[in-house]
Amino acid sequence: MALAAQFLLRIPQLGRKNINFPSYKHRGNYQPLFLSCNYSTNDNCSSTSSSKKKNYLELTDDELLRECEMDTYKSSGPGGQHRNKRESAVRLKHVPTGVIAQAAEDRSQHKNRASALSRLRTLLALKVRSSVNLDAYSPPPQLLQILPPKSTIRSSEVGPQIGPNNPKFALGMQALLDLIFAVEGSVSEAAKLLGLSTGALSRLILSDDSLRMAVNEFRTSKGMKPLK
Amino acid sequence: MRVSLTRACRFYTSPITPKPSFFSPRAILNQPFSSSSSSSSHSSTPKPKTPLFLKPPKYSATLSDLKKWHNWAKALASSVRSTFADSDNGPDSSILFRELNWLVEDSLEDPSLIPQLGFQNNSQSVRLRIGLDELYGLWKQRIEKRKPFQYLVGCEHWRDLVLSVEEGVFIPRPETELMVDLVSDVLVRDNDGLRDGFWVDLGTGSGAIAIGIARVLGSKGSIIAVDLNPLAAAVAAFNAQRYGLQDIIEIRQGSWFGKLKDVEGKLSGVVSNPPYIPSDDISGLQAEVGKHEPRLALDGGVDGLDYLLHLCNGTASMLKPGGFFAFETNGEKQCKFLKNYLENDSACSFCNVSIVSDFAGIQRFVTGFRQ
Repeated sequence: MALAAQFLLRIPQLGRKNINFPSYKHRGNYQPLFLSCNYSTNDNCSSTSSSKKKNYLELTDDELLRECEMDTYKSSGPGGQHRNKRESAVRLKHVPTGVIAQAAEDRSQHKNRASALSRLRTLLALKVRSSVNLDAYSPPPQLLQILPPKSTIRSSEVGPQIGPNNPKFALGMQALLDLIFAVEGSVSEAAKLLGLSTGALSRLILSDDSLRMAVNEFRTSKGMKPLK
Repeated sequence: MRVSLTRACRFYTSPITPKPSFFSPRAILNQPFSSSSSSSSHSSTPKPKTPLFLKPPKYSATLSDLKKWHNWAKALASSVRSTFADSDNGPDSSILFRELNWLVEDSLEDPSLIPQLGFQNNSQSVRLRIGLDELYGLWKQRIEKRKPFQYLVGCEHWRDLVLSVEEGVFIPRPETELMVDLVSDVLVRDNDGLRDGFWVDLGTGSGAIAIGIARVLGSKGSIIAVDLNPLAAAVAAFNAQRYGLQDIIEIRQGSWFGKLKDVEGKLSGVVSNPPYIPSDDISGLQAEVGKHEPRLALDGGVDGLDYLLHLCNGTASMLKPGGFFAFETNGEKQCKFLKNYLENDSACSFCNVSIVSDFAGIQRFVTGFRQ
């Protein structure tokens, strides 16, 4: 987590006016944030094969940290040897998306930074959507990894199914949510594309609280019943 | 309105088996610990104190007595409001409440009992690592004398470590956590065998940087941790041993490069968080720092640059070609000055001199390599 210290205090948000990201708990006016997940100005994540498309979740800790502001530290004065005021709580604001994650449980700032960053990854997975081409849909490997083995499109090369405690789960969750959004919240449609029964995909969604909440939030906004 | 100590004082049950707890000097003597006095005279080897969380739970108190103490302590903390913050940028009540929680955590044998503090008149007994009387005394010192919290509990949580600290030893700062990342970054790209070489942490204090770095070095790497203060050397040794690093970290008591003649020109890395506060600023510091931490660890002379310059002047001959250095500073002014100084060194000893900011966006570290 080095050189992260050279984080940017402000990233010029070119071409984006008011991207006010509502908390995903916000009912009714649900506006998912469609981003091209790179630093360019496009709001719509389309093909542009020439430009290298980067997923925030694929950034290393350093790179991701560099895109964040840490609000808690601002008012400290000279800091360093001058100061003994243990505000170990860390609040990370991911500047390009506005997503905020925090951690305060540990007595060490370093540990809270790590926790906040991990939470940020989860939140980015939940809140940042990329569009998906349904016509020629091929689930990305990170999504295949979180599917149960019985999925007919999941080959044995994918390896064992990874669960919510695995750090890579966030990437899979993100890809799954991209798909669910693309099919307008229909679990049965998504299940077909993933080689699973509707029930099996339902169970996967229900296995993680934040995933469940994100899916249900979206379904409710589309006038559908939440999964139980 | 101040809450006094006498109001809430109660008696606790006497200790179960009074036993002096002292740190065995053998562990220190096993280190290649060169001090000014012979290592066989125990009286001159300082004995590091055991941090609270490591003390045996040989005391007890009823939950209701503990609760009384806790209420008294909270009221005392609450009475501070923003008076410390206003007078010298010290902690406000919310920070003191947090510290109080941590004090309780370290004092209880079973911290999971903390929620039960809410129940008054509970005669259930709990085991403590410290007598209730002493808890009153400690918190009183915190509020009335501004004694640093870390000296109350005898430790500081830093990176993923818990380091013993005590009065007379500098408390490692969160900014310095980044120093370890700077080193591990260099080692990731390392083509010069730096990870298996000798590293030096100058002014090690509690041993924080040395221990942090020891865990990212290669299997043949080693660190010499230097401090002028024999107490710091003893505490650093204690901390190194707690993490099983006594074979990788050698503690030397001495001044800067003074005891390092044997490794001159051979070092892979020199790192330091030397005293860098300008002398005149010391009296304006928050009381926890200015009145309680060792001045030796804070005062960097008129511009705060005395020791940093000494390090800059001495590092070139200590490092082998390609060796790395990283120094922590007081901020932008010192960083810029030192970068300029190092880049314009007449012998062109250094390259890639860089300034790295801390997480608050303050330019904090100067780094570079020996040509």
